[in-house]
Amino acid sequence: MGKNPQKSKAYTAHLVLMILVTLCPACPLFADQDVTAIKGGDLYTITSGIIKNGTILIEDGKISRIGQNIEIPKNAKVINAAGKVVMPGLVTATAEVGMAGSDNQIAESLDPFHYSASLALASGITSIYVSRGGPSGSNPIGGTNAVIKPTYGDLENMLVKESVAQNASLSSWMGKTNFLENQRKAHAYLQKFDEYTRDKDQKKLQELKKPSGIDEYIRLLKKELPARLRATTAAELLDIVEMIDEFDIRVIIDDAVEAWVVAEEIAKHDIHLVITPREKRRPNEYISGSSGSTLENAAILKKAGVKFAIVPTSPSFATWGIAGRDLMALPMEAAFAVSGGLDEQTALESITINAAEIIGVADRVGSLQVGKDADIIILDGHPFHHKTFVELTLINGKILYEKSKSPYFSHITHDN
Amino acid sequence: MGIIHKYVLLSILLCGLSIPAIAEDVTVIKADRVDTITSGLIENGIIVIKDGRITAIGSDIEIPDTADIIDVSNKTIFPGLVNPLSRIGLSSPPGGGSSSKAHLRVVDELYPHQDIYKRVLRAGYTTFGLVPGIAGAGIAGQGAVIRPVGNKPGEMIVIESGLLMIHFQANDRTKKGIKSALDSAKDKTTSTDPKVKPLVDALQGNIPTLITCGGPGDILHLLKLLEPYKQMKVVLSADSEQYRVADKLAKKKIPVILPARIDFEPFTRNRINVPKMLTDAGIKIALGPKGDSIQAHEDFLREVTELVKFGLNKEIAKKAITINPAQMLAVDYRLGSLEVGKDANLLVLSGDILDAGTKIQMVMIEGKTVYKAP
Repeated sequence: MGKNPQKSKAYTAHLVLMILVTLCPACPLFADQDVTAIKGGDLYTITSGIIKNGTILIEDGKISRIGQNIEIPKNAKVINAAGKVVMPGLVTATAEVGMAGSDNQIAESLDPFHYSASLALASGITSIYVSRGGPSGSNPIGGTNAVIKPTYGDLENMLVKESVAQNASLSSWMGKTNFLENQRKAHAYLQKFDEYTRDKDQKKLQELKKPSGIDEYIRLLKKELPARLRATTAAELLDIVEMIDEFDIRVIIDDAVEAWVVAEEIAKHDIHLVITPREKRRPNEYISGSSGSTLENAAILKKAGVKFAIVPTSPSFATWGIAGRDLMALPMEAAFAVSGGLDEQTALESITINAAEIIGVADRVGSLQVGKDADIIILDGHPFHHKTFVELTLINGKILYEKSKSPYFSHITHDN
Repeated sequence: MGIIHKYVLLSILLCGLSIPAIAEDVTVIKADRVDTITSGLIENGIIVIKDGRITAIGSDIEIPDTADIIDVSNKTIFPGLVNPLSRIGLSSPPGGGSSSKAHLRVVDELYPHQDIYKRVLRAGYTTFGLVPGIAGAGIAGQGAVIRPVGNKPGEMIVIESGLLMIHFQANDRTKKGIKSALDSAKDKTTSTDPKVKPLVDALQGNIPTLITCGGPGDILHLLKLLEPYKQMKVVLSADSEQYRVADKLAKKKIPVILPARIDFEPFTRNRINVPKMLTDAGIKIALGPKGDSIQAHEDFLREVTELVKFGLNKEIAKKAITINPAQMLAVDYRLGSLEVGKDANLLVLSGDILDAGTKIQMVMIEGKTVYKAP
């Protein structure tokens, strides 16, 4: 050590630092230690345009500052993103991933070491909607869901929010009948409750009996949660539109292949959609008018003012099968919407902020904004370019993936 | 601890009492090398065995006149192997839910007359931690410590209810089942209810609790579940990717049982030496065979030798097949090493146990020769 003055100096500095850190953990001088700065990249904020050559400061896992000409604190850990694209981590509005565990109580069986967590990080996905169970038989409501983050190895920070929607199904005649009946019961109950409360009629309020099995429906009517349903054809979609005419509830619809046919109705009822631009469906030859799938689905919905999230054909992580059809190529799916006429900005929103809003976590993720979780990805090109790779993935300000150090793609390079 | 002390006292007392009753029955083994495990290697060692127990061990020991002398010069003596977690010779587990089955005892399903017990003797095994199994997850019952000899179940048993067995899975039902069973037993410390007593013993740390567990994610859930039960002596059996949470296991000082084998890092063709990774992290390990088949037991020493060849410390490896599993089963006061007062369970070997060419030539359980190579 004596032969290397530089090293010994560093050693002494470390020692002093260690002592100081031990002595005054709350010392403001060392608050800077926890600051991470990402500098030099083009910041695709999603919500406020692109900031060229911008800087992001991260403190306590949140974005604390963002913009050009931001002074980087001396002791900050600096990530150089010059020439790169910096954007919020991707959000997928639906997924079937092993890291969500096998239990209906999602929080009780999360697996932060599942390979799907590391593949999500490598794919730039930092927020994932997962659901377990669902409506079955004549019961139109059921199952649980949650939004999770692939915080590899860290169980504590995995769960973002439980119960972000109420899974429902109107696809069977019995199910639909029960759904409407219970919804009407809940509606009647709420009306009476409000009436008696307004009249301050304590006696009647006490006598008012809540029918059993309508708690979920009350939550829907109070708009605490959206109902999440599946509807593929225009007829099925219009069925739901009609239901919303009767009951003013928030609705998310998965698999809305023919939504473009009834885009105006969907927009008018503020229904949120989860779509897959590449999904195929033959036109129905037995009906007149438009039907079937089109690559223009997203573009038409956008023009009508519908909010939607985009998910790929197979919402899982697979290292086998046909490449580019699963979550490992989520931006590719959005790029296909661009092929069908959608603008790039909306396509980006459909896998970030809009997806986050639809799954109820837009207050925390989905854009680069001060106060939001520092879930950030750094890309070596435009997100919709097929050559682009995720180089770095941060969740809550922590680097959880580095392409150069991971076995997945570190061997792949492009000679421009 | 209390129980252990009582046993030691009892055994010493019994020894003392039985000496005048039975005629002098002393065996002496003379060997080139005695691998004691806990007190190093003794060259030109002498082991004096009386009534199945070691009464003296060393290189400079007076040999009683009446002793039977087994002279195995050129040979090495090693303690009998201990398999801490096994269902050898038992039928496949009955179906079960996540409810507590603490009253089930593995000794009640013991069936002595099986060839497999004779054959594992030839592989050097003299002690097994036998555990109850259930098809699902939850509290499976009470495990026992047995020796693979004897014609009646009673003759096989070393400790009847030596441990509590739990199969853990990270899901709501299993967690609730385990938690409610343990919590309901917490205040019933004097209960003699067979459904409660084993839980109390486990909670107070009187008996060890063996827990099988899936991958590292499950282990994190398990550690969270075990948080309130501070006295519990937990031993973890986890055979996949447990090294990913090695720091946490080391911090909680939880010993780990794992199969002796070179693994592949998941989704790669990279070989990894997990026992070495765990011991490097400061975790106490016990190595077991890859399964309950006779083949797995016969392959065992070769697998351990391979682990040593690829970096596992040899002395640690030797402990991991003897004293460590004995400690995990809380029978280290009488098994797992060659020391005065301990059972004379030993192997006569042609060389060092972890040399590829070494053969097991004789196996002794409590002073009796139970196997002799032809």
